Amino acid sequence: MSEPLLRTEGLTRHFKVGKLFSQQVLHAVDDVNFEIGRGEIVALVGESGSGKSTIARLLARVYKPTRGEIYFEGRPVSSLRTRKEKLAYCSDVPMVFQDPYSSINPAYRVSHGIRRALRLHRGELARGRRRQESERVLGEVGLVPAGTMAAKFPHELSGGQRQRVGFAQALAFSPKLIIADEPVSMLDVSIRIGLLNLMSELREREGVSFLYITHDVASARYIADRVLVMYAGHLVEEGPVEDVIQRPKHPYTQLLLSAVPDPRAPLGLSDAADVGEPPKVVNPKEGCRFRPRCPYAIAECGAVTPLLRDIGPRRLVACHVAQADVGEPAA
Amino acid sequence: MTLPSAAEAVVQPLEVTRKPWSDLWRAVAGNRKAVAGVLLLLFFLLLAIFPGQIAPYSPTAEEFGRGLPPSSAHWFGTTAYGQDVLSQLIWSTRQSLVIAFAVGGLATAISVLVGVSAAYFGGYTDGILSLITDVILVIPIFPLIIVIAAYERNSGMFTLVIVLGALGWSYGARQLRSQTLSLRHREFLEAARVRGERGIYVIFYEILPTMTSLIVASFLGAALYAVLFAAGLQFIGLGDPNSQSWGTMLYWAENNEALGAGMVYWAIMPGVCVALLGAAFALLNYAFDEISNPALRLRRLEHKGAQELPSPAAPVEVAADPENILQVRGLTVAYASDAGPVVAVDNVDLDLRRGEFLGIVGESGCGKSTLLYAIARLLGAPLAGEITSGQVLFKGRDMVSLTEKQLRHIRWREYSVVMQSAMNALNPVLTVEAQMRDALEAHSNMTKREMRERSKEVLRLVSIDPVHLLSYPHQLSGGMRQRAMIAMALLFTPDLIIMDEPTSALDVVAQRSLMMQIKELQERLGFAAIFVTHDMSLVSHFSDRLLVMYAAQVAEYGKTRQLFDHPLHPYTQGLLEAFPSIRGEKVRLTGIPGQPPDLLRPPTGCRFAARCPHAHERCTAAPPLYEVDGELVRCVLYEHEREAVAAT
Repeated sequence: MSEPLLRTEGLTRHFKVGKLFSQQVLHAVDDVNFEIGRGEIVALVGESGSGKSTIARLLARVYKPTRGEIYFEGRPVSSLRTRKEKLAYCSDVPMVFQDPYSSINPAYRVSHGIRRALRLHRGELARGRRRQESERVLGEVGLVPAGTMAAKFPHELSGGQRQRVGFAQALAFSPKLIIADEPVSMLDVSIRIGLLNLMSELREREGVSFLYITHDVASARYIADRVLVMYAGHLVEEGPVEDVIQRPKHPYTQLLLSAVPDPRAPLGLSDAADVGEPPKVVNPKEGCRFRPRCPYAIAECGAVTPLLRDIGPRRLVACHVAQADVGEPAA
Repeated sequence: MTLPSAAEAVVQPLEVTRKPWSDLWRAVAGNRKAVAGVLLLLFFLLLAIFPGQIAPYSPTAEEFGRGLPPSSAHWFGTTAYGQDVLSQLIWSTRQSLVIAFAVGGLATAISVLVGVSAAYFGGYTDGILSLITDVILVIPIFPLIIVIAAYERNSGMFTLVIVLGALGWSYGARQLRSQTLSLRHREFLEAARVRGERGIYVIFYEILPTMTSLIVASFLGAALYAVLFAAGLQFIGLGDPNSQSWGTMLYWAENNEALGAGMVYWAIMPGVCVALLGAAFALLNYAFDEISNPALRLRRLEHKGAQELPSPAAPVEVAADPENILQVRGLTVAYASDAGPVVAVDNVDLDLRRGEFLGIVGESGCGKSTLLYAIARLLGAPLAGEITSGQVLFKGRDMVSLTEKQLRHIRWREYSVVMQSAMNALNPVLTVEAQMRDALEAHSNMTKREMRERSKEVLRLVSIDPVHLLSYPHQLSGGMRQRAMIAMALLFTPDLIIMDEPTSALDVVAQRSLMMQIKELQERLGFAAIFVTHDMSLVSHFSDRLLVMYAAQVAEYGKTRQLFDHPLHPYTQGLLEAFPSIRGEKVRLTGIPGQPPDLLRPPTGCRFAARCPHAHERCTAAPPLYEVDGELVRCVLYEHEREAVAAT
């Protein structure tokens, strides 16, 4: 198998929390392995606090991994030394942020971020070409007429338009992989779909890969090829998106799916309301982290941390109970 | 995170940007303090630049009579040395202004450098820089300057500028540091770093431009301080006594006992000049604050807006129906804005039966939150919306006409409100119990023990362990905070609970569990509920009826099930097609292209026409609400089906 675009190996990030004498370690991301192929959209789903945004920031080099390595096109990211190499990586892997109201500098015109990106990463472009290019990326994300939009200030745009500016900035890098950290979760439902469509179009037209981070499984199904499910810093399930949604193996994935509001489906009011919360993983002990909320937990779950194991074609799950061929465990 | 409410969307904070000078110009011209400050400063600038042309005589020439009284030749008389007072005043302006600008510039530069780098780099850098700032802040500056100036006697303006500048930056540095700290978690800074920008670039090109207003304020403050201090020092004789300055004039006037000797203007006018120049800087500072701070700007608008709002229509008398706990008729709410009134809720009618669950759905800015606040009578400063017409009958009483005092008796006891963001609605420094006690004390005469019991009871209702009575809001998770908010709303078992997107800050699992909880409580306790959300799918299984709002108006109103199964309005149809499903065939969705209209200038015809796939020429006239199979819909597609219910 050829080298994927991006691959992580044992990616781990811990944060020190607490006071000087009661120092504790928060395990935001623990031993995570995954791959993203060329032109692939991979969704990373999980609740808030599950570590998905930490993964985004590890990939964007905002944080350094505590352990483990990220390989981009086969090259370990920690081996980037010179500013030129680091800039080249920035340019390959830009990020789109969650909050359209705080991710654009209010003091500048919309074109500012795009022009800076072009200057930093594509300095070879002549002045005139740069202008053309910035109008091209704005047009590409549907902000037309590009000339007028570029001259606007962020407060003159709606939330959806601002988020499009975020994607235009990312495109200006001529990227290979865009990390989109909950890009639609703060937008109105009515305009979310437009941005999701935009992401699939960009993949088609520009051949960009996406890591789409979300807590909305339905939107992950809509655009992604593969899905990674995270819980409390661990990757708990992985597989082709349709397959995972039709036949979820991990009890947590099942919980996530049952929580998606769907007016087309009848409501099972008998569903016991799950009032559990994803734990803050501070100084964790061995064992499955989902165990306290899991209806199928067995003794082994308290003793051994389940590892991701193969349970079918391209399907991985980290659960002692999940079966390969039987549908849902005891459901 | 929260979506901006209608009100916020209407009153955009005017961020002082490098944008359009014309905007800044308009803001300045519209502000009386700014105009006065600019005129005063211009006046002094003219004097400072062209003293030779303006002053009638040389300031030093001792060629007139000594101590002459004011006359047409010498407006302010002459000094004890036979110099013209007016000419001296004019020639002295230059030094005061130079000191003001030089000290302002120097102090601002230092405070920017220290304040911003302390906050940006953090850690030890911050520790050391903050320590220095604080030390300078507590040094009694005037005595220190007297000591320094006495040592450096007659050394002139340059020393004065350095000393005043070096001691006057600490206040500005503190403000800039805290402002930078608050920016540190804004995503645009993270975006700049992810883009690969260097730290220096981020400070100078990303952080500083967003703080223009604070930097200008700090400059004006330092300039004001410099004018006053310099005059004070020169007055007590610590400047160069041969220089031309207002302080030096005062010094000589004092030495010659000018007041006693009848040379009143010699003694008074330099002081007046100092005061006027100081006032110019102070006025500009106030004005700048008003221009850049939307809350202050609004106070002005509120006043102005009230006169411009459409006058209320004659109230429609509604017969109170005992079946309905709430009847809203012709409710219209307007906000004042720079460009005129914005009608955020336009002639809305709705009924709510006892124990009914009503969902209100719409995009941000459609007026759904405003409608809610109007019903709860919570409109007011700083986002000053005003009910301009209509009635809100709650249990037969017209809420619109109730006074604040009358409202206190029914708020919380008979109806309560759950806000969008619990983190903002709960007081961060009080425990859950203390906040519940506050509410209970304000609205009942329970004993301490009863209050405690009641608080425990309501927490159990929302499945929170009563041990959390002693927790502070930040110790609870997002889901628990929202449930605590609902528990507080239940303290008096009200008949109506009004909820403004209580789940929008939560993710799916917590959201689902909260919705289940609300539904269960509602069935058990029998309260009626109004639930506002932008996510239609969320309320599909929970609400009895649904009201779809678009651009301040009711677009569709009917039974939830019917509305989901047979949506009538093209907007509702669009909303239903806007979110992907986890079941069934994977289909490409289009959502609703385009954007809602600007409520400042809404289209005269159908407000949805510009985004509507069925729009045709009939849509240029504003459609009324039509009744179709018991549902109300505002769309001409249904004009043949039924008669219009009411012309709007």
